Formats: sequence, C-alpha cells, structure tokens
Amino acid sequence: MGREVSESCIDGLLTEMVSSYCNRFYSNTPELAARRIEAIGYQVGHQLSERYTMERPRFTDHLEAIKFICKDFWSELFKKQIDNLKTNHRGTFVLQDNKFRWLSRMSGDPSVENGTQDPESKAAQAMSMYLYFPCGIIRGALSNLGIPCAVSADISSLPACSFVIRIKV
Amino acid sequence: MAPVAPRSGDAIFASVEHVNAELFTLTYGAIVRQLLTDLEEVEEVNKQLDQMGYNIGVRLIDEFLAKSNVSRCVDFKETADVIAKVGFKMFLGVGASVTNWDADGTCCSIVLGDNPLVDFVELPDTCQGLYYCNILSGVVRGALEMVSMKTEVTWVRDMLRGDDAFELQVKLLKQVPEEYPYKDDE
Amino acid sequence: MQFFGGSDISPSPPAPTASGNNAHMMYVFNRNGVCFLYREWNRPLHTLNAQQDHKLMFGLLFSLKSLTAKMDPTSMDKGNLGVPQLPGQGCSFHSFRTNTYKLSFMETPSGIKIILITHPKTGDLRESLKYIYNLYVEYVVKNPIYTPGAPIRCELFNTSLDQYVRSIS
Repeated sequence: MGREVSESCIDGLLTEMVSSYCNRFYSNTPELAARRIEAIGYQVGHQLSERYTMERPRFTDHLEAIKFICKDFWSELFKKQIDNLKTNHRGTFVLQDNKFRWLSRMSGDPSVENGTQDPESKAAQAMSMYLYFPCGIIRGALSNLGIPCAVSADISSLPACSFVIRIKV
Repeated sequence: MAPVAPRSGDAIFASVEHVNAELFTLTYGAIVRQLLTDLEEVEEVNKQLDQMGYNIGVRLIDEFLAKSNVSRCVDFKETADVIAKVGFKMFLGVGASVTNWDADGTCCSIVLGDNPLVDFVELPDTCQGLYYCNILSGVVRGALEMVSMKTEVTWVRDMLRGDDAFELQVKLLKQVPEEYPYKDDE
Repeated sequence: MQFFGGSDISPSPPAPTASGNNAHMMYVFNRNGVCFLYREWNRPLHTLNAQQDHKLMFGLLFSLKSLTAKMDPTSMDKGNLGVPQLPGQGCSFHSFRTNTYKLSFMETPSGIKIILITHPKTGDLRESLKYIYNLYVEYVVKNPIYTPGAPIRCELFNTSLDQYVRSIS
C-alpha cells in the first residue's frame, strides 16, 4: 500500500481551490472558473491514469477502458467502485456512484425548500462547480488512454452522483 | 474531571479516514501549475498559495482541536509544539519538530524532513522564486490566528531549493484577547 | 414539605421524560460574538426577539466567565474584571443549574462557544458538547459549500444534531 494522508487534506484543498477560482479569481465569470477547475482535474486524471496503467496491456476497446475507470481507478481514488454502469452502445456511458465521497458532507439550507422559487439553486450551483473537478479527472484519465470525450455530472438524486461520458467520434 | 491529555498525532492519524497521497500530491501540483498559467507572476502565485493555505487553516483548526482534545492554546510554546507534533502528523501523516527558539520564546522553527506535497516534484528553472509549499505556511498562520495568535510565517529552508529539510520560521507578533463585541447601549 | 436549600424548589420542572425530550435549545457563537446557530426543540416561553435573546446570552456568558476567573482562589495571574482574556485563559465554568433549567457551556481555543439548555436534571454534558463540536466539524466546517463565519444552514448538521440531542439524558 502506498503513502496516505488524511482525507481532510484533499477535502480542504479542493474546497479552497474551488472557492478561490469561483470567489476570487473569476468571481464574475463562473464559466471561466468552471473551465479552470475542470482543467486542474484533467491534469490530475491524466497523470493518475498514466501511473495506474503503466504495467498493463493496452485496452482493446472503449468498454474495457471505461470498466477500468469504474473499478481500479475509482477504487484507488475513493476506496470503492462505481456502483452502476450503463451505456447506449453508441458512445455514451453513465457511471453512477451511489454515495459519492466528495458530496457526502455537502448540504445546503434546509429552509429554502419551503421558500419561493427555484429551491436549492444556490447550493446546487456551488455543488456543480465542485463537480467540474471529478469530471475533469475522468476526462483526463480517458484522454490518457487515447479516448477523447466530454464528461458531465448529474446530481438529481443526492447523495448519488452520475457521470455521463460521451465519447467523441 | 481532570484535563484530558491531548491525543498523540499517531493515534489520531490512525483513526481518521485516509486517502491515497498521490491524489493529494498531484492535485496540489496541478493547482500550482494552473496558478502559474493564470497568474503569470511567480510572486503572485506565492501570495495566492499563502492565501489559500490561510483559508484552509481557518477551517482546519477546528478539526484539529476537536480530534486532538487540545483544550487550551494560551502559551505560544506549547501551541507551536502541539501544532507541529500532533497537527502535521494527523493531517499529513508526517511529524514535524520544533527548534531554534529565540530567547523570549516568541519565535521558533517548524522543521519537516519528509513532506508529501513534494513527492515527484522537480521545479523547472522557469519557477525561480516560487515557494512551492507556500500553502503550508498559510495553513499554519491561519490556524494560529484562530487561536488568537497573530504570526508571521516564512520559509527558511526548502528542499526544492536544495536545502536538507523544510523549515518554517514562525514569529509571534501578538496575542489578541477576546473583546466584548457589543456596545453597552446598543 | 421542603424548606430552603431543598433540591426541589417550586416551581418544580416536569420530570425528565424518557422519550428524550430533555434539550430545550442550543446556541453556537463564533469568536466575534455572532450567534451563527440557534436551534430550539422545546421552548414554551419567548420573551425577547431573537437578536436581543442572543445578545443577552452572550453577555451572560462573557460576564460569568470573567467573574469566575476573577474569583479563582488558586490562580495568581488574573486581570481586572472586564479586561478581555484569551479564549482558554484562566479558569472557566462548564455549567450552572437553576430550578427550572440547566445551562452547559463549552468554549474551544478557537473561540467557538456551544451552549446547551436542558432539563435541570440532566447529568454532566461535557462529553455531549464535545460530540456536538465534532458534528459541527464534520457537517459544517467540512461542508465545502459552507462559508466560514456565515450563519449555519446545513441540513446534514441539523438532522444529525436533532437526532443526537434526543439521546441526552
């Protein structure tokens, strides 16, 4: 087993990275903040997948590579596998983590639900900013395996989180 | 009830959730690289890393206090000691030592021999002047400020610059007592 | 019939209920004296508006702390009454009891003050306050979308707190 640090190190670093980009560097341009956060994730995913596949034969098809992300790669990062994998067999894959670790402590204002319009919109926005990072990680990891794609996240059923991968053809 | 002795850094580290240090190290590296691209100036990157560390320290102090059972931080010497030995250990998994106390006990060095932030890191020549680990000095400053100690934290030795260890100098500027926050006739 | 000094002076409170309804309310103040969480479970009587109520509670603690330190027969170094102290400096009280309620108090070196008002017959709650501090760390401080210093509006914290206080006896 490799070296470990307390989970709070990575949690604290991510929280602060997202908040720096959203509230300080690009406070008026959330789309730029999102792009930077995704780019940081991309670098991390790219490097990690390089390290974890060094001694492995090349994947023969997309499904095999996606399965590697769901199992080995996810376990290295979160100590659990993706719970559910779906595909339309035309290049779209949905990876569902039933209890995504980076969302496990996230919660917003309970009173907002009784409020007027769009409940939880601010909390949902903040959460989606945060999710650009794991989306970037997945895109970086797959890109390192020679699979260009777009990745988005869906949190409509918290604490589950689904990552939607669309492979570019 | 007798005061409870602080728990040891080893015991706390063993009891908290862990993650793969590679993820942490590479994430930090990617953040530094992105900041270098976005902010262009190395000086500005140093400043922002310190600010990010400060904000992290402000949050981290409560987790440190809650898990370590440290119930008072009045004496600077004791506090520096417990931050180095328990704090560094419980988060980074590596202990730090405290040395170089000055005569009046307001300035010391925290020395780290091993530092997971810099695993696999080599600085290119273009990064001259970068304090790669500046986030750590910010964390220490932020955490100490939350226990009423205003400090100045600077790097004295840096292994990425060829030194034999990481050494942070912590200088106590003042201790800020708690004021009654309301006006009497408010 | 009981005279002065008896343990049950009228008006006597209702006996503690086994169903776990012993907590009346809780306050959390930050180091600037701002009440960033107030939670109420059982408070039949409100006499002040919320702001006055919080200020009065803070003033009570502040003065009591200052007085208890001043009266300390064991300590040589004490400031003058009303002179600000560092959090954790000098002695401190951890609870007081009236015939109708008990107030338990904890202050961390970071200046967080947790105050729990319960039935007067509840036991030593110092461990409970520590537990609540840990809940605060897990679900408030480590909630990525919570801004330090802002009023606490975190659903996960509220739910776990409500559940925990029901166990207090």
